[in-house]
Formats: sequence, C-alpha cells, structure tokens
Amino acid sequence: MTSTNRRRNALALTGLALTLVLAACPSNTPPKARVLPGPDAPLPEEPAHPPPVDPEAMCRSDARDPGRVTLHRLNRAEYDNTVRDLLGDTTHPARDFPADDHGFGFDNNADVLSMSPLLMEKYSSAAERLVDEAWTRGDVGARCVMDTLSPEPCARDILAAFAHRAWRRTVADAEVTRLLGFLALARQHGDSPEVGLKLALRAVLVSPHFLFRVEKDPASAAGSEHPLSDDELASRLSYFLWSSMPDEALRAAADDGTLQDPAVLERQVHRMLGDAKAQALVDNFAGQWLYTRALDAAEPDTRYGFDEPLRVAMHQETTLFFREFLTSDLTMKDLLDAPFTYVNDRLAAHYGLPPVGGDELKRISLRDRPERAGILAQGSLLTVTSNPDRTSPVKRGVWVLEQLLCKAPPPPPPNVEGLPTTVDPRLNIKARMKMHRSQPSCAGCHSLMDPLGFGLENFDPVGRWRLKEEGGAPVDSSGELPDGTTFTGVMQMRQIVKSDPDLAPCFTEHLMTYALGRGTTTKDQCAVRDIVKQAEARGGRLSDYILGVIQSNHFTHRRAETETPRP
Amino acid sequence: MSKKFTLSRRTLLRGAGALLALPLLEQMLPHRARADAAATPAGAPRRLFVFYTACGIHMPRWTPSAVGSDWQLTPTLQPLAPVKDDLIVISGLANAPGRPDGDGHHAAATSAFLSCAKAYKTEGTDIHSGISMDQVAANAVGKATRFASLELGIDAGKGIGNCDSGYACPYANNIAWAGPATPVPKETRPQAVFNRLFADFDPSATQAQVEKRRAYGLSIIDFVREDAKSLQGQLGGTDRRKLDEYLTGVRELELRVNALESQGPSCSPGVAPEDTTDVRVKAKAMMDLVVLAFQCDLTRICTFMLANARSDKAYPFLGLTSGHHTYSHHQNLPSNFEALATIDRWEVEQYAYLVQRLKAVQESDATLLDHSMAYFSSEIADGNSHEHKNLPILIAGRAGGALHTNRHLRYSGDPLANLFISMLGILGAPVSQFGDGTGPLSGLEG
Repeated sequence: MTSTNRRRNALALTGLALTLVLAACPSNTPPKARVLPGPDAPLPEEPAHPPPVDPEAMCRSDARDPGRVTLHRLNRAEYDNTVRDLLGDTTHPARDFPADDHGFGFDNNADVLSMSPLLMEKYSSAAERLVDEAWTRGDVGARCVMDTLSPEPCARDILAAFAHRAWRRTVADAEVTRLLGFLALARQHGDSPEVGLKLALRAVLVSPHFLFRVEKDPASAAGSEHPLSDDELASRLSYFLWSSMPDEALRAAADDGTLQDPAVLERQVHRMLGDAKAQALVDNFAGQWLYTRALDAAEPDTRYGFDEPLRVAMHQETTLFFREFLTSDLTMKDLLDAPFTYVNDRLAAHYGLPPVGGDELKRISLRDRPERAGILAQGSLLTVTSNPDRTSPVKRGVWVLEQLLCKAPPPPPPNVEGLPTTVDPRLNIKARMKMHRSQPSCAGCHSLMDPLGFGLENFDPVGRWRLKEEGGAPVDSSGELPDGTTFTGVMQMRQIVKSDPDLAPCFTEHLMTYALGRGTTTKDQCAVRDIVKQAEARGGRLSDYILGVIQSNHFTHRRAETETPRP
Repeated sequence: MSKKFTLSRRTLLRGAGALLALPLLEQMLPHRARADAAATPAGAPRRLFVFYTACGIHMPRWTPSAVGSDWQLTPTLQPLAPVKDDLIVISGLANAPGRPDGDGHHAAATSAFLSCAKAYKTEGTDIHSGISMDQVAANAVGKATRFASLELGIDAGKGIGNCDSGYACPYANNIAWAGPATPVPKETRPQAVFNRLFADFDPSATQAQVEKRRAYGLSIIDFVREDAKSLQGQLGGTDRRKLDEYLTGVRELELRVNALESQGPSCSPGVAPEDTTDVRVKAKAMMDLVVLAFQCDLTRICTFMLANARSDKAYPFLGLTSGHHTYSHHQNLPSNFEALATIDRWEVEQYAYLVQRLKAVQESDATLLDHSMAYFSSEIADGNSHEHKNLPILIAGRAGGALHTNRHLRYSGDPLANLFISMLGILGAPVSQFGDGTGPLSGLEG
C-alpha cells in the first residue's frame, strides 16, 4: 500500500466517528501516480479529497475477502530455520544467499521475494552440502539400515518421512516412487544405494515444494474464496510464529484434521508462542517493525562512544522486552510504557541506571525511572532514528506516524531535505526547525511530524538522557499537535500515542502484513477492525492480536485466482 | 565452506602464490575466444566492468575544464593519475528515464542506471523496469564463460522501512536487470563470491568422475523441473509466473552443470578473502575478485555497487560525521561540498585501484585493461537537485582497440542510452534500439 493509501485508510477508519487526535497531514502534494510502464502513459484521475467513508456502514456486511497470497518463496531466515528443524543444521547456509528485498516493511513479502539463477545455484550447492553433512551426523537416513541387495523398502521409508516433513504436506506414494529412481541411477553408475538416497534427498531440497510455500486453489474455485487445506494452514501458522516448518505436534493436528477447529488453533498458538522458536517472531516481525534490525548498520559519530557491546546490548534489550509480551498478560498498548526493561552494566551505565552486576541483561523495574519506560525510550529505536551526529526529530516523528499510527506523511518535495547547518548552533533544534513550519509547502506535514519528535528530544542520538543539547541550549521537549493538543516530554507524548484510536488498527495492519506475507489495502480494513475488536474484547494482550489475526478469515482462507489453473 | 571445497582448494593452491602474484597460465588464453565475435584483434575477449556509486558527485570538482586530449585531472579525479592515459571522461549525457514520478529520484535513477528505462512506481507488487545493458551483453557473449555475468556489491539491503518514496527496494538495490520484472541480485560477501567462482571445480577429478557428477546434477535438475511443471498446472496465473522464475533458474543451473568440466577456472584462485564489515577492506576484496574473474575468464561482464541507492553510509575513516545522503543535500554549504568531494575522491580511489589492477595483468601482448571497458558513474549528478543530466561518467580501457583514450568528451544532453548502444556494439552485442537511445554516441569510438 502506498503511504497515501495508508493515510486514507487511517482517515477512513477513524472517520467521522472518532476524534482526530492526530490527523494525517493535509495533502497538498499531488496524489501518488500509478502510471503504467511507458514514458507517456496518462496519469489516472484521482479525486483530490476522497469522499468520507462511514466505517460502520463500510464494514456492516460480514463478507471479508481474504485476498490472495502469491506463491511464497522461503526467505533467508525461513530457509535457515527450516533446514535447522529439518536436518539439525545450524550453520545458517542462507548467509551465502543474496539478500531478500523487502516490500511493505517486511522481507517476507511474497510478491517481492523473487527467484534468480544465482539463488537457484545457491540452493543447489547448499542442498548438496546440507545432505552430506546431515548424513554424516546421522540426522537423516538413520531410521533404518538399507539392505545392500534390497535397499528399496528402507529407502522408501526414509524418503517418505523426509519429503513429508520437508514439503510440509502429505506426500503421494507416486512421488516417493519417483524419488526412489535416484537409487537406480546410482546403481547404473556403479554407486551404492546410499549415494542414490543422498541424491534423492538433495532433489527434495531443490524441489519447488520445498523452496516455496505452496497453496493450491481448487480448479472449481475461480475467483471465490476457500479454506486452506490443513497442511497449508499449519505452514502459515509455523512460518508466521516461527519462520520455520511445522513441528511434529502441529503436523499431527493437521494430519488428524483438527487444526481448523478454533479451540485447537488457539491451543497451538499459545504452545508455539511459548516455544523457543518464537524468537523468530521477535527477530523478524519486531526486528523490522521496531527497526531494531537497522541497529546493525548504525554508525553514530565516535564522540558518542557507541561500540559493539553497546550495540549488542541495545539490540538484546528490545528483543527481550518484546519477547516478554508474547507470553505475558501485558497488553499490546503497554509496549508504549511498560515499567520494566532489560539492561546489563554497559547499557545501565549508558542510561544512567544502577549496575545490575555483569554483561548479561537482567530485567529491572522502571517504576522510579518512568521516562525510560516503553519502546520510545529504548536506545535501539532512538539510535536508528537519529543522524550519525545529531538527533532527527523528523525521523523519530515519522517513525511514530508510520509504524505506530499508519499515518505516513508523503516524502518531502525535492530540494528541501536536510537541516542547514549554518543556523545558530546556540538555538535548540526546535527553534532551528521553525523553518519547517514557516514554509507552507512544509508546514502541512511537519506540524505533525516534528512535535512527536520534539517529545523525544531528551534522548541524544544514542538514547542517553540529556537536559541540554550539544550546542548548550536547554532541551525543549514540548510540542503542539495540529488539533491544539500540547504536551511536554516523552511521558506525555507516549500517552497521546497510546490512546490514539489508530494505534491498534495500525499494529494489526503491520502484524497482518507480516503474517500473510502480502501488503494490505483498503479492502482489508474491515478485517483489521474485526481483529482489533476481538483482540480488545479478549483483553488486548499482544497474543490476543496474534490470535485474532490467525483466527481471521484472512489467515485461514484464500481467494482463488480468476485466472484458473490450466487444465 | 564445504569439506569438499577445502580439498579442491588445497589442490588448486598447490604451488600458487598470493593473489597479487597470479601467474597467468598460457593455456587459458583465448582458446574459447578465438572464434568470438567480441574478441579483440589480438584474440583476447573484451570485458565490461560497471562501477556504481550512490548519491551523485559534486560536479565542480569532477569535471575537467578542457575538452579533447588536452584535458587535465581535476581534484576528484586525481587518484586516476597513474592511468590517465587509459581514461575517457564523458560529460553532458542525460538519463531522462531515471526521473521518477514525483519523488524517489535515487531508486528510479538506480534502476535506470544501466537500463535507461522508466521504473513503474510501486512498493512491492508489479515491479517493472527494463533490461540493463550488462544483461544484454551477457545474453550475447555470456555463453562463452562459466558465468554469463557477475553482480557484486557492498551492501545487502537496508533491512527496514521503505527504500525510496514509494519505489520498491529492488529498484534501489539492483542495477542489473535480466528483464523488466527481474532484477539480478548481487552478492555482497567476498568469501561467498570466491566460493562460487572456484568451489565447484575440482581440477583433480578424472573424466569419469566429472561425467558422473554431471549426470547426477542433471538428474536432480530433471526431477525438480518435472515437479515445477506439474505444479504449474495446478496454480493460477500469478503463482505460475513465480514458478516461471524458478524454471528460468533451473535452466541456467542446467547450463552451469553441463559446462562443469569445460568451463573450469583456467588459473589459480589464490586465497579466499576473509569476511569483513569494513567497507575499505570489502571494496578492495571485491575489486580483487573482479580482476580474478576476468583474468581466469570466468566471466566477461561484471557490475558492482559501492552502495545502494540513497545510501546514508557514514565515513568515519574520512573524518566525516554525517551520512552520505545527508551531505548530498548540501544546500550549497561549503562544508557539505568539502565532505562530498572527500567521499567522491574516496570512491574514485576504489575505482582507480581496480583499473590499476587490470592494467597490471598481462594478456597476450597487452594488458587486461587494454581489452576491457571499466565504466564508472552515479545514478544522478548533483545530489541536492537530483540532476538526471550531465552525469559523471568515466570509461577506462581501450576495449581491444575500439576506444581511443586520454580524452574528455563533452555532449549537450545526448541520451546516456546512446553510449550504451555504442558500448554494446563494441562488446559484440549490437542493438539498434536501447532505452531512450537514438543511435550510437557520436565521437566515442576511434
């Protein structure tokens, strides 16, 4: 979805019914062009102001089009985790693969995940090495011993079990028979059945059934929606929560046909969130939603003393903090101000907190240090939304708008980016940024972005608490939002965000984008509303939102393509 | 790294010197190139190297004032002093298709960097640009070598957020495009590149072993191709197109496996580079690998991205505290000009290192550089105004006698695509039409 669409969605949802606490910035820029390829294609007409939509009327019908997810190639994290769970391989072979591009904020977007000859070559050599090493370790082929004269029964047994797990679905006898052909091939070349079996295992790992998450449309279903098969649902679930293949318990629920039962699904979700493999949801969903991943590439100026131990500690802090939300009774909205965090001595000193006694991060209460509570006060986020040598209220404000409220402003017009450095350095940044609001072309958006960033001005470019800016001016962390709401400091600012009606739908939209591996559009807004309502009714815990997405029609169903399979 | 590889590398390393002292084995010389249309008069193949650098160039310190053979090195071009004789500086070309719809100059211009095609503005679905000139060349001459082309870079991807104002990340991260919807991903780990170039080749294998290995490899390919084809019959149109990408990959893999024995490296690889995050070490390692790949005739077409579009990389080792993209919006402040010129010069140093390495390798009676075109440019000219005209362009090397060097050519807004039409002709991949081009660039050849 383009940010324009996002903004419209937010508008449509918040609509007339609710107070616009934080309105989207007035759009005086032309609508984003969706031009057909070609130099002179005409611009489609778009109304400058979309007609107001009544969200209640819009979502009155129960019909929720689940949409389509394109054939989904495993991304690098998914590949690594899958071969870990399938073969016991912990070498992260996908490190050697080209990077996955991301779309709509996540690198598991099925449309963007493309296949290339280079990647195919990598898959092929990885498969050879993975099978050789797993064979040597005894992680495959240990189910039975192949009889030299009659190896087929044992080989069939090994291959059937392996393909069932690797392809994450029921495997037909005929498919196993095809795989057994590799034993005959090896025999022709004078090699042992073991050589043939290993070739078959390699073929399983290079097959599209392994590399893609296949979801089929029944031939009769053109254009209409249908429930996923049990196997397909199990895969969606495990790749959402674990970025990996289903385990035995989940496979069993799929095999005996009970997984579609909402109560069974719920039990599986809670079991899976409590499993160590749920770390993948923290690394891959939260790591991208909260920008924690960008910390790896952050290069604050040397004068801030930012080093590897601090980078690692900041990363772990956000990871452990978010992780706790998966299984606890904390609500999703508590991400803004939960009164605890995790620090080690290095990070505690950085934050001006008492030491905890070592390099290992420990959970501490922030009851006495409320300004440090919540994601907005964590070093990881504050660092990656700063420039290397100064804070950027704009970047911080945009982060809040895009990631928490889905009210992304359009990008600035050309030729205006960056803050001139010749302005009087004795002025605080707020005064220096006044220009944003004095120029009409900038004011519309900056009157929304800048104040949110000002609220975080007590945190320096690496997240240390400060009362004075580097130029010596006292920090002014007050802000005024377009509707006249005023606040001072991070504690008041984060309460405004926490109570914003767009926080829950926005979080849900990000979660759904990640869970489905596709971008969301205005068509998905009613489903988002349903999930928010359901999750809030259950208590609003983070796991309620996760469960809400999983139990939604969007997750359990798919619409068949109008262009049907070829007969 | 696989165990198997360790063994074969040991064999390869036997008696080999360090990377810098590679002996060029005589038998590698143009045994395949002899009948090659793209070969130089001396019989050596022609190579193309493309060096991309992000966020534009500070042009006042780049552009030589004199035109023709009287040109002098400017401050930014100073690192190229040892190879000035081998250089052509080209000013005044424009890449109009790089201009975005609204914002997104860096991504749109980067996808148009070698394609001269307009990128369709989308954040994820329905990506559409055009085939890049390196891939046109690879399609024409790539079959002669083990790798039709190599795509290298320093940065994998941003990892979070959006890439550039409504343009999907593939536009910002790729200059090589096999087709309008198919970016060719790049490798960003020197060690992985080295392994790919040399790992699958075992010079100690007997003919029978090679044939068996090939037969096994092909049998797996046949198996998965059949899987994909039968799966395709059960999928809708969009999914089928994804599987088409897979089948293209399978076809390429088949070519690679078929050529296993005939296209092994014909010179010694030296020592695998260590992985590092230091951009200085990494850039040097990548340049060494380019030279090695050309020298061993593993490929003749290679592109390299020193950074991805809109890179805000910091250069603390140059004494700079802010990021590149931030500086590039210079607002005409002298301090920002200084910073940009410092970064530009460092970029030119990396390119100069490669050019000098190419020049140091003898090939028949000339040097590798004499048989190459090493192209350098950025997606835009000035970073503040996002200029898509007057692009900063260098070509080093004589392309086997096709180019007369040590000149500064100035044009007035001719399409960049015209230069690519000329270059493709020189490379043995003639095209009559490319991007917004109107014909070969006048005054380039000769």
